[in-house]
Amino acid sequence: MFKACQSCHSLDPAQAGMAGPHLAKLGGRVLGSAEGFDYSPAFRAAKARGLAWDRERLLSYLADPDAVAPGGWMSPPAGVSAADRAAVTDYLLGR
Amino acid sequence: MLRRSFLKFGLAGLAAPNLILRSAQATGQTQPGNPFIVTYFEVPDIKGSRDVTDAGDGTIWVCGQRNGVLGRFDPRTSQTKVIPLGDGAAPHGVVRGPDGAAWVTEGGQNAIARIDDKTHKVELFKLPEGRERANLNTPVFDKAGMLWFTGQNGIVGRLDPKSGKMDIFDAPRGAGPYGMTRTPSGEIWFASLAGNYIARINTQSGAFTVVDPPTEGQGARRVWSDSKNRIWVSEWNSGQVSSFDTESGSWKGWKLPGHKPRTYSVYVDDADKVWLTDFALNSIVRFDPLTEEFNSFPSDKPGANVRQMDGRTGEAWGGESGTNRLVRIQTVKPA
Repeated sequence: MFKACQSCHSLDPAQAGMAGPHLAKLGGRVLGSAEGFDYSPAFRAAKARGLAWDRERLLSYLADPDAVAPGGWMSPPAGVSAADRAAVTDYLLGR
Repeated sequence: MLRRSFLKFGLAGLAAPNLILRSAQATGQTQPGNPFIVTYFEVPDIKGSRDVTDAGDGTIWVCGQRNGVLGRFDPRTSQTKVIPLGDGAAPHGVVRGPDGAAWVTEGGQNAIARIDDKTHKVELFKLPEGRERANLNTPVFDKAGMLWFTGQNGIVGRLDPKSGKMDIFDAPRGAGPYGMTRTPSGEIWFASLAGNYIARINTQSGAFTVVDPPTEGQGARRVWSDSKNRIWVSEWNSGQVSSFDTESGSWKGWKLPGHKPRTYSVYVDDADKVWLTDFALNSIVRFDPLTEEFNSFPSDKPGANVRQMDGRTGEAWGGESGTNRLVRIQTVKPA
């Protein structure tokens, strides 16, 4: 399932030039805090509030990014079921 | 409906970043020296108002990516006809076909959707088994009437609207195919965001010719051809707009105004003026290739996120996906 994310995200923090931030060690990471990535104002605001990724927040974000970070730059993932979102969430938070 | 004006950046503007922070003043009419009229339209029934195109009768098609609908907006009345596309729908791109219908890359159902322009009946052409979650992006018709489309998960597709036959091709370098365009000479080109290239498709064989832009890792996101067969490219990572001359093979590039621009989309109007969107400045940006001058139209709401533009003579249109609005910029001819 993570293949669906790979057009914008990498699991390798050293891989530069992706459209979105790397997703390594996401569990507990503060939103908008991947070093070197130029985030949207929405994620900079989330970082200032100290919001961190957990299972509930990531599931909500994958279902509707604007519901978690209004005005953020990521589009809603298309064609992805609730089971798919759960699988990606568990995969990313377990790494 | 709300109208406002614009900011202008010449070379002096580029050298003086503080200019970028000035707010545009709302206006209800044209002002001396301002040839543009910016109008915002609320479309609350279109959630995540995304890609748009001219429907050919004065109305505008608009994809509601967040609530799975296609809208047909009439700026003369500000009325919107809402067309549900099916369970789980998440439409991304829309183009008007030779038959007058709207053709949509319907990523939610992993299908191409045809919406009849008279009856609004929805017909789906699903991608074949083994091509699930293609993350469909942009549709374009070639001169023979075949529909070509991109899927960010690494595919380019071709649909024969008459027979319904669909062919799927694996894109070079895997994931990334995003914007797509047709040149006046009939060539089909697309951009790969993750692949950092643009490519031409042989519409007979499905073979690709990859062209790498000069800036490494530029993040080529969307493409649009001008009248001279030049491919204009919005570069998300580099913050540039670049152009590739398909006849000479030469490149040109320009950085957008401001600090760390993020060039999301590109549209070239019928006067060969280039319309861009910059997420860093929350702006639509117009570039004149003749004068190399930028005009910036910052939204009056934060997080507007215009992800695509299209238009018709004298009007450039975009969907503010973050505000559920449409924006129209009219270019007024001098009296």
